[in-house]
Formats: sequence, structure tokens, C-alpha cells
Amino acid sequence: MRNKLVERAVISGVGCSRFGDLLETPELKGLSIQELMARAVKEALDDAGITGQDVDAVFAGNAMVHSSQVPGTYSQLSKWTGTQFKAGVHFEAQCSTTNVGAAMAAMSVAAGVYDTVLVYGLETTRTKVKGFSPYEREPISHQQTWLWTDMAVNQAYGVPQGYDIFSTYNGLVALGYCRKYGMSIDDFDRSMFELCRTRRLHGSMNPKANIQEKLEDRAAREGFSDPYDYWQSDKHNPFVAWPSRLLSLVTTADGASAMVITRADAAKGAKSQPVELKGFGISYSDLPWYGEDATYWEFDRRAIDAAFDMAGITAADIDYLHTHDCSHISGICTAEATGYLEPGKGLAAARDGRLRFDGDRPMSTHGGRHAFGHAWGASAGTDTYEAVLQMRGQAGPRQIRKTPEISVIHTHGYAMIGTVVVLGSV
Amino acid sequence: MPNVAEQSSAIRSYYEGLAKGVFRAVTCKACGGYTFPPTGCCEHCASWDVTPVELSGDATLLLASHNISPACHPRFEKIAPYVYGHLRLKEGPIVQGIVLGVKPTPEDLKALFERGPVPVKAETLQMSDLPVIAFRLAG
Ligand SMILES: [Zn+2]
Repeated sequence: MRNKLVERAVISGVGCSRFGDLLETPELKGLSIQELMARAVKEALDDAGITGQDVDAVFAGNAMVHSSQVPGTYSQLSKWTGTQFKAGVHFEAQCSTTNVGAAMAAMSVAAGVYDTVLVYGLETTRTKVKGFSPYEREPISHQQTWLWTDMAVNQAYGVPQGYDIFSTYNGLVALGYCRKYGMSIDDFDRSMFELCRTRRLHGSMNPKANIQEKLEDRAAREGFSDPYDYWQSDKHNPFVAWPSRLLSLVTTADGASAMVITRADAAKGAKSQPVELKGFGISYSDLPWYGEDATYWEFDRRAIDAAFDMAGITAADIDYLHTHDCSHISGICTAEATGYLEPGKGLAAARDGRLRFDGDRPMSTHGGRHAFGHAWGASAGTDTYEAVLQMRGQAGPRQIRKTPEISVIHTHGYAMIGTVVVLGSV
Repeated sequence: MPNVAEQSSAIRSYYEGLAKGVFRAVTCKACGGYTFPPTGCCEHCASWDVTPVELSGDATLLLASHNISPACHPRFEKIAPYVYGHLRLKEGPIVQGIVLGVKPTPEDLKALFERGPVPVKAETLQMSDLPVIAFRLAG
């Protein structure tokens, strides 16, 4: 394959809702999903300085249709976003949805078909339609969320025979990492605590994050003088898949994100500073996601290599990195695979604070899947949103000191599609 | 109602095999590789020329963690939390599955981790609606 974008494509506008719960979170409580989505789309279109009638096509992402109940999303959302009569499709690549959408948009722009494409992602993983109500919602149980989410995982053999995301994505990977690099379980636990602390710090500086409370503050609120005692408490932070604990995981959220992709020459003089989509790589795999070495994931290797090749970058060029961190240990393995962190040294980097916004290897400054929260098909767009803010110098208190010129965003779409997007300053 | 012949299905055959304690895979006539659990296409070289084969059930448990309770799937609510492992079958394929013969506690899993890879043997675990594969620690 030629693996080239023959014309340059840029992100000219980004939008993102608050992540949280449509039944209780400030800024979200009482919104319909139509209005939730429209908010993110409006922000992206405003950012690009255009309206919904200025786009040529709409790629509408939504993965868990069971809770949203809006298939045919393009048309059902068209009058809420001003995009009537456009070309459109409803698509999903699970938790990679919005960035796979960005790649499809870049391809369609680079091919000379469309000048401007609106990509959006919508997901509700905390609430579902109540009865047959057009606007009332109710909570989804933990088991129901995973029963629906796991429909994206091997339904012939994996899920029917006891597949468990917490073991496969967390516990077993953690043990593989410890065995490969000779790390003790105690050192692993301490490192995961520090990594969670970093993500929660980032969330505390992000008004759109699901969790905006630092880990230390939460520990103090629960009566712990030492936050590590809180971390090791079975009551507050149980093992979900030993040696991985609850607070090393994703938190579910309702949320939406959007972006405008356009021809580089058409974005000249645009309202906001555009960011080039320099390259992408996509590779998927069925179970098992890894062989004997639980830290090596072949589809991620292929996605990373393809994206770096298309963008013409190497690991040394990366200024900012987000890797999919539904599972904090898996996110570290992927960061090591990109070359941004040294193999076997990723957890040490976390312990030393190097992954903080003010460290020398900043990662996931929006808070990641744990603190920012995870709304499956909307989340990759929030990673891109954060990278664009950082590259424009608009990330406020969590701004990386040296404004990033190259950002790499990796996501795992369940189960699994490794997706890597490379963004570059124009 | 006309008498319609039922088509063969690798999935149905796999679970019917499990019910009898037989572990079914396919091998590829082109590259010799195993595809387990079975499909109609070689997972290594994409050849359609695959043929059913029975596996020994011998395996090595590489890593073991546990699931959560309540389980993500209602089928496993009664046995959660259970040990879930990363394994290599004697014939080569890497699989993950339920592990029997060790408790899902941090202490027992840590002791198992420190032992390193251990031999296990596949068996059929009969859930209320489906036979599933499980691997029991040998000895
Ligand atoms: Zn073959």
C-alpha cells in the first residue's frame, strides 16, 4: 500500500462536551442526547468559523446503540446540527470511533472528494433511554454496560466462555509486565498509584473531566492521612483483576466530541489555528490480543508503524502522547511501543512524575480514560481535542511548557482496533 | 414444511464437542497452522482449506488473574469471582480461559505467579446453558 495522503488535510475546529452523567453531572443534567451532541458540534463548527451548511459530509459515530437508540445518527441529528442534505454515514470503531472518523475524513479530503467533513462521536455509557420516553433516561447497571460493550468482543467463543475485560486488559498484562521486567508486585502497585495520581491531577485542572478531584483530596475526604493507604484499601480500591485495582481503570461517562477536517489550503485564514492530520495507522485483531509476551500487541505495532511512516516522523519527534488508557498498564505498554517511553521504564517514568503536564514526557493531560472519563465512541475525539488545545497553547493551567509541535494519539477500539493519529503544527 | 438439511457450523460443532469433553480446532492444509477455537478460514494464512482436528487439552498456564463479581456476563454470576488465565496449548495456540484448582485471592495468585508457568489440563465446565472450556492445574 502507498500509505500516503496525496493532499494535506487539517483539523480546523474541535469541540467536546463535559463528560459525566446525564442524570446528575453539572452542565449535563437534564440534556437530551440530541442536545448533548449538538453542543460538541456547535463548539467545533464555531471553532472552525463555519456552520453545518458549510460542510460537505458528516461522519456520525456511535458505538453502543443499545443505550443511545439513535441509529441513522446522521439524519436524526441533522436538524440539531444544521447539517440537513449533506452526505453522511453512521459508523463505529468502538472506542477508536472518532479518530477512525478523522482518518476517513482525511482520506476523503485528500482524495479530492470533499473539502470539509464534520466528524462527531456520541455515547452514553452511564445512562440509557427510560422505557419509550423521548427524553427521560435512567442509569445502566454495571453488568448491563459490560454485556452491551462486550458485544464488540468475540461472541462466538470469547465472551460465551468467560472472557473478562478486567483480566485480559489489566491483570494479565500487569503480570506479563512484571515478569518480563522483573518488577515486584509491590513496586507495580506503587507505580499504578502514582500514575493514577497524575491522571487525577490532570482531571482536576480540566473543567470538562468526569472526575475533577485529585486522588489525595479524595483520600483525605475518606479520612486517610496517607493517600497510599487509601489506594491500598480494599473498601475504596479493590482488586478488580489482581494485581490491578479499580482506580487503574476507566470510568464510564456520557459525552460527545466533534471535529472539522478540511483541505489545508481551504483552512488558510481560518478563525482558529488549524492542526495538520499528518498521518494515521489502523490495525485490528480478534482475541487473543497478545501472544506469550502480554506486553507486545502486534496490531498496535502495525498501527504505530503505519502512522509514523505516513507522517514521516520517528519516536524522537513526539512532543505529546496519549495512549488508550482504559487500562493504565496497557496504556504504558503502548507508550513504550511508540518509543516515547523506554521499554520496561514506563512505570518508573510515571513514579518520577515525568508523565505529568509539567514533566518531560507529558501524557494524557486531559485526565485520560480514568479522570476525563470514557464515552466509548466519543472518547478518541476528546484525545484529539486535548492535543489540539495543547498545540495551540490553549490548555490553560495544564498547558505543556514547550508547546507541542507533534502529537501522537493512540486509541484501542474494542476489541481490538489499534488506531494511531499523528498531528503536526501547521 | 420441507425437510431442510442443516448446514454444518464450526461454532455448534465446537460446543457439541465440549459437551463430550472433546476440544475441537481446525488445521490448515496450506500452512499447517492451528486455528483455535475453530473457524472456516486459517487465521495465519487466510486459506479456506481447513480441516477439523481434536486437541489434546494439554496446556501451560502462563499467567493468572481473576474476574470481577458480579460477572460481566450473567452466565458466570454463580461462579464469580473466578480465576482467568493466559495459556499456551500444547499444539501452539495462545488462549485465555477459566482456570480451576486455585482460589481467586491475591495470596494464592501471587504464589502461583512466583511459581512461573505450570501445566494444566483442559476440561469441560458445564454452565446452566452452555458447556465451556476450563483449565485445571495438574497435580
Ligand atoms: Zn494457513
